[in-house]
Formats: sequence, C-alpha cells, structure tokens
Amino acid sequence: MATGLTLCILSFLYKDNPLFKLAEHLYVGVSVGYTIVKAYDTVLVHLIFKPIVENGEWVLLVPVTIGSLMLTRYVPKASWLSRYAFAFIVGVGSGLAIPRTISSFILKQIEDTVRPLLMLAPGGDVTFTWDLHNPASSLNVIIILIGVTSVLFYFFFSVEHTGPGRVVARTGVMFLMISFGAAFGYTVMARMSLLIGRLTDLIEFSDASYGRPTVWLALVTIGTLIFLSRRTQGEPPDQH
Amino acid sequence: MIFLRRQLPLLITMITGLVFAGQYYVPHPASEQVLTSATKWMQIIGGFALVLGVTSLFHVHAAKIRRKEAGWGYSVVLYAGMLGTIAVGFWANGKESVEGVSTAFGWVYNFMMVPLQGTMFAILAFFIASAAYRSFRARSREAAVLLIAAVIVMMGRVPLGEYLIPMSGDLSQWILNVLNASVRRAILIGVSLGTVALSLKIIFGVERSYLGGGKE
Amino acid sequence: MSFAERMLKIDRRIIFVVIGLCTLLPLLYPVGLPIKISSEVRGVYDYIEQMPERSVFLLSIDFDPASKPELYPQAVAILRHAFRKNLRVVTMTLWVSGTGMADQLVTQVAQEMGKERGKDYTFLGWSPGGTAVIINLGQDLYNTFPSDYAGKTTKGQPVLDGVQSLRDVSYAVSLAAGNPGVEAWYVFGKDKYKFELGGGCTGVIAPGLYPLLRSGQINGLIGGLRGAAEYEILIGQKGRAVAGMDAQSATHLAIIVLVALCNIFYFSMRRQARRQGERS
Repeated sequence: MATGLTLCILSFLYKDNPLFKLAEHLYVGVSVGYTIVKAYDTVLVHLIFKPIVENGEWVLLVPVTIGSLMLTRYVPKASWLSRYAFAFIVGVGSGLAIPRTISSFILKQIEDTVRPLLMLAPGGDVTFTWDLHNPASSLNVIIILIGVTSVLFYFFFSVEHTGPGRVVARTGVMFLMISFGAAFGYTVMARMSLLIGRLTDLIEFSDASYGRPTVWLALVTIGTLIFLSRRTQGEPPDQH
Repeated sequence: MIFLRRQLPLLITMITGLVFAGQYYVPHPASEQVLTSATKWMQIIGGFALVLGVTSLFHVHAAKIRRKEAGWGYSVVLYAGMLGTIAVGFWANGKESVEGVSTAFGWVYNFMMVPLQGTMFAILAFFIASAAYRSFRARSREAAVLLIAAVIVMMGRVPLGEYLIPMSGDLSQWILNVLNASVRRAILIGVSLGTVALSLKIIFGVERSYLGGGKE
Repeated sequence: MSFAERMLKIDRRIIFVVIGLCTLLPLLYPVGLPIKISSEVRGVYDYIEQMPERSVFLLSIDFDPASKPELYPQAVAILRHAFRKNLRVVTMTLWVSGTGMADQLVTQVAQEMGKERGKDYTFLGWSPGGTAVIINLGQDLYNTFPSDYAGKTTKGQPVLDGVQSLRDVSYAVSLAAGNPGVEAWYVFGKDKYKFELGGGCTGVIAPGLYPLLRSGQINGLIGGLRGAAEYEILIGQKGRAVAGMDAQSATHLAIIVLVALCNIFYFSMRRQARRQGERS
C-alpha cells in the first residue's frame, strides 16, 4: 500500500494524472480523519471527560463552553457567539506573547548584538581578535553589528536612500542576498533529503523478502500512465 | 444587542490581554495559578479550534459532490478516506499501537498517511532543481552574490563539497554563523516589534478582523 | 532558436531524471565520504554527554511525516545517546499528525536499548494548544498531561519522579519542522522556566535559528539530514542519515552543475543579443 501510494504521487512528475489526484485526495481525507480522531481522544476523553468524571474538575466546563461557541460559526444566525471564543483566545494569546517576545527576541537579540568590541586578555590587557572561525571574535562582532544595523536600516527607513544612507542600505541588501543564498542552499539540502528518504524506502521495499512491491507496482503505475496518456493523446504535458 | 455582539467581545479581549501581559511580571502563587488554569483552558479550546479548522473542508467537498462538479469522484475518495480513518480510529480508541502492537488505525497511519505526506513533499526536490536550472541567473550584482552564497553553502554542507574544496565547509559555517545570523537577527527583531505592535492593537481594539463571523 | 535557448527550454522531465539518478545511484552504490562535525551539533552532543545518570531529558518531537527523512534520524540518534547515558527520557509532540510516528520511534529505540516504559522513559503524546502546552508544562506537567499516550496516569510514574514542571527538566531538545518548535520552546519555555535548551530542525528553517544559537538561547543546533549524520558519527552508530550523505552530495553537485549551465547559456544568449544589437 505504502509503495503504491508513493508511486501514485511520484507519477505527477510525468504529468498531472488521475493516479496522483486519487492519492492527493486520499491523503487529505486520511489526514483530516486522523486529526479528528486525535482531537477526540486527547481533548474529549483525556482532557475533559476523565478529569471531570474521575476528579470532579467541573470548572473545565468553562473552556468546553467557550470551545463549543466556536462551532456556532456553522450556524449563520448564531455565528456572532463565536466571537466570544475568538476574543478569549486572541486576548490571552496576545497578552502571553507581548512580554515574552520582548524579552526573548528583542532584548536578548539586541543584547547579543551590542557586545564589547574588545576582549579582556589574561593579565588585564584588552585585545582585538581577528579569528573568523570564532563567531564571537571581535571582527565577527563588528560584522554582525554592521549586518544587523544595515538590514534594519534598509527595512525601517523607507525614505529615499541617498548619500551615506544609500551606502548603509546597499550594505544591508548585500547582507540580505547572502542570507537568502544560504537559505536557498539549505532549502535544496532539505528537499533533497526528503527525496532521499522516500527513495530509501522504495529501495527497501524492492527487496525479495517483501515480494518486491516496488518493482511490480512501478510497472503497474507506468502501465497505467501509458494507458491514460493513450486515451488523452494529443494533449501536451503541462510546462511549469 | 450591539454591546453583546461587538463591544463585549472587544472588552473580553482587552481584559484578558492586559491580565496575561501583566501576569508575566507578577510571580505571586495566585497569579501563577491563573496562568496554569488559563493555559489548560487554551489547550481544550485549541482542540475545538482544530476541529473547526479541519471540518471546514467538509462543506467544500460536500458541495462538490452534491452539484456533481468536475472531479466530484475525487471528493468521494476524500470523504471515504476521512470516514474510514475516523471509523478505524474510534475502533482503536484513537491509538496507533497498543503495547507496541499496531492497530488498524496505526496501519492506516503508517501505510497511508506517512508515505502520502512524505512523498507529497519529496517531489518538491525535482521542482526546486528544475526551477534552479531555469531561473537562477546572475542577472545583477545582487543576484550574483545570492548565487555565490548558495553555491558555497551547498558545497560546504555535503561531504563531497568539503572533499573537493576543503575550505568550503569553514566558509559556509562562517556565512551561516555570522552573515546569515546577522540578517536573521535583524528580521527577528523587526518581526518581533511587529508582533508586539499587532498584539497591542488587538488588545486596545484597533485591530478587530479576528472577530469576523456574522453581522453586527 | 539558438543552442543556448534550446538548452534553457529543455523538457523539465530530463532534469527530473538527472536528479532521480543522482539520488538513486549513490543509495545503491555508496562511497562513504568522511563527514566533518560542526560545533552546532557538538553543542547538543556534549551537553547530553556530561549529564549525570537519571537526569531528566525532554525530547519534543515537533514534526510530522512530511519531514520524517530529515528529523527521524536525528531523533533516533539523540534517543540512542540519551538511553545509553541512562537518562530519564520524557518525550512528547506538539504536532498532531506526528503522534503515531513519534510513538513508534520512541518505542522502537527504547526496545532496542532495553528500556522500560514508565521507568526509563515515557511518551506523553500530543496535546492541542501549541504554545499554551509549553507554558502549562512549565506550570504543572501533570495538569498538561494527566495521562500519557498509552492512557496511563502520569503521576506516580518512576520516570517522572521528582518532576513537577519544566523547571525540573535538565535538558530539553525540540526537533522541529516549523512552528511550534524550537523558537516557541524558548519564548514560552526556557525564557521563564530556565532549563537548558537545544534544537534540531529541518534544513529549511535552520538558517533562521542561528541568531538564537549565537545569543546562547539554544546551546546547539542539529540542522537537517547533515546534522543527523554528524550526530550518528558522534555516537558511533551510523544509520540512515550517514547512508544518505552520498546521495546528498551527488544531488547538490547536480544542482550546482545545473545552475552553472543555466548561467553559461544565459550569458551566451546575452552576448549573442548584444552582438546582434551592435550589428543592427
């Protein structure tokens, strides 16, 4: 089953076809079904029913009521009641986020950016370290400071960049390009890893001990694609 | 009625927002107890939100089947997959395995959901390669810088790259640890400032789009 | 149409075949090139290595099958390491669609290492709410997860002896494919409850976590399949990640060659167009 469904999805590489669509819709259906079952088991049984019945935690009926109000979205006349649920969630969420985001991502990140440029050497002297390998070296601290400030300048000062401002903004753009390049490199790595994982499974299932399902099902998939393409001959493969 | 439909929800948002923003700075046991209860409530409400999110798909596909729109057969497959999974899920008490032995629900998960989801994302590998070949061109100085950085990182993160160009490993580490980190930090600070600003706008009722749902 | 133009417009399925072969052939015929260890991965390894026996280690398996090839090997390697060090391992997930996979993963590695559920390890399962779950865990673990994945009451399990909340966790690692993940564990967890935190992630989100690594908010980062391969080397038990590294090398090289060809054809077209412009 796993091999067959994998091949159905991979058949999309040839062109969009009914095998792929079938697998795609099955995937959505199974995922939704899975989520519903998990929500039922975890929330209804373990977080609501058991604590109420076994420990008498009747106060939990309050979040149950708030949660149920959400489902009024399906009843047009009463859908305004869902606002209470969203008001609660969004209010609590915003309240929780404000101090934590300031502390974790604004203050801590600024603190690490404005580090001392000189370091204390043994004996009480100050020293400037040039080692690029060490991300905490003085040189790298300066580079990080330049990078952070120039990118922030580029983003936040939307006035026309002229004179010294232009130099700072251009520096920011160059830093951004390098970072986007690194992100692209890493994204390629990630996507290839996923393919490696799936092909490793297919190789595993081509083993005789499993009855070589990969080989047989690959032949069936190719056969089906040939049959389907004969039926729709003349229709060119889509180009992306 | 307008008070119940519009102003009271906004008031709830403001009060809960201010209470939980302030709670962070008040480590009194009573205040901590409020946090414990509220987050537990959020867990439970989160379950309802999840169900609300996934069930919105029901309507779209049910309408497709009812009107017998093009491709309605696939919607039937979707429904069959969903109802079948729910049936075996309830049968197995929501457990994929019991004492290490897989249930029917576990079988559906392991041999349908896992390969389907995995392969759906794996095919992106082919499209990223195709896109790179067709559009990754050094049209300008900026594009050239992006391209060079990408090539260095691609070389430096695999054994063959480090074998062919030994310094590519250290260079890619430096790019990630210093140049990339500084940009990401600036973005993180910017996004966080935006998050705080948006949260404040929500609390003080400036931003109200989250209320949606129904007439005034 | 010139040669360069024709080459730039070749059927994309030719590229698909090239990528497919570059992945498949190294998997069938591995070379085994040496893998260097980065300081980011060593950060996580060294911390676990110095933890005293029976310390509490929390592993949050925050991914689903879509990221399985990258993060599953990371989880296997970390669990093997933690079990080998005789740590008390508490596992959970914040991603609903990863629940079954996480259970299977933890059970398999624990069986392989001869560990007992409830005594040496536990799998708490999944709970909705994302960030609220992390905060609630920091407040009271038993309130967040009254029972574990198997339905057994969490209170009284020997593996959780002396553990009341995240404050009693010595080290937590989130293996994340997105949000909620490493960042959420810092913002809503470590920031207040002061446990040490490490991260593992997919390649896509790895560059975005470097600021946290630089500021010491996380003490290590395992990035993608490469990070998993490094961890497998560190624990001396090669697995799927190391096996995939040759294919990773080949595909990266293929992409670099494709990008180079694309640029050669592009510049040759540009030169041609310029010459034609000069002539006319």
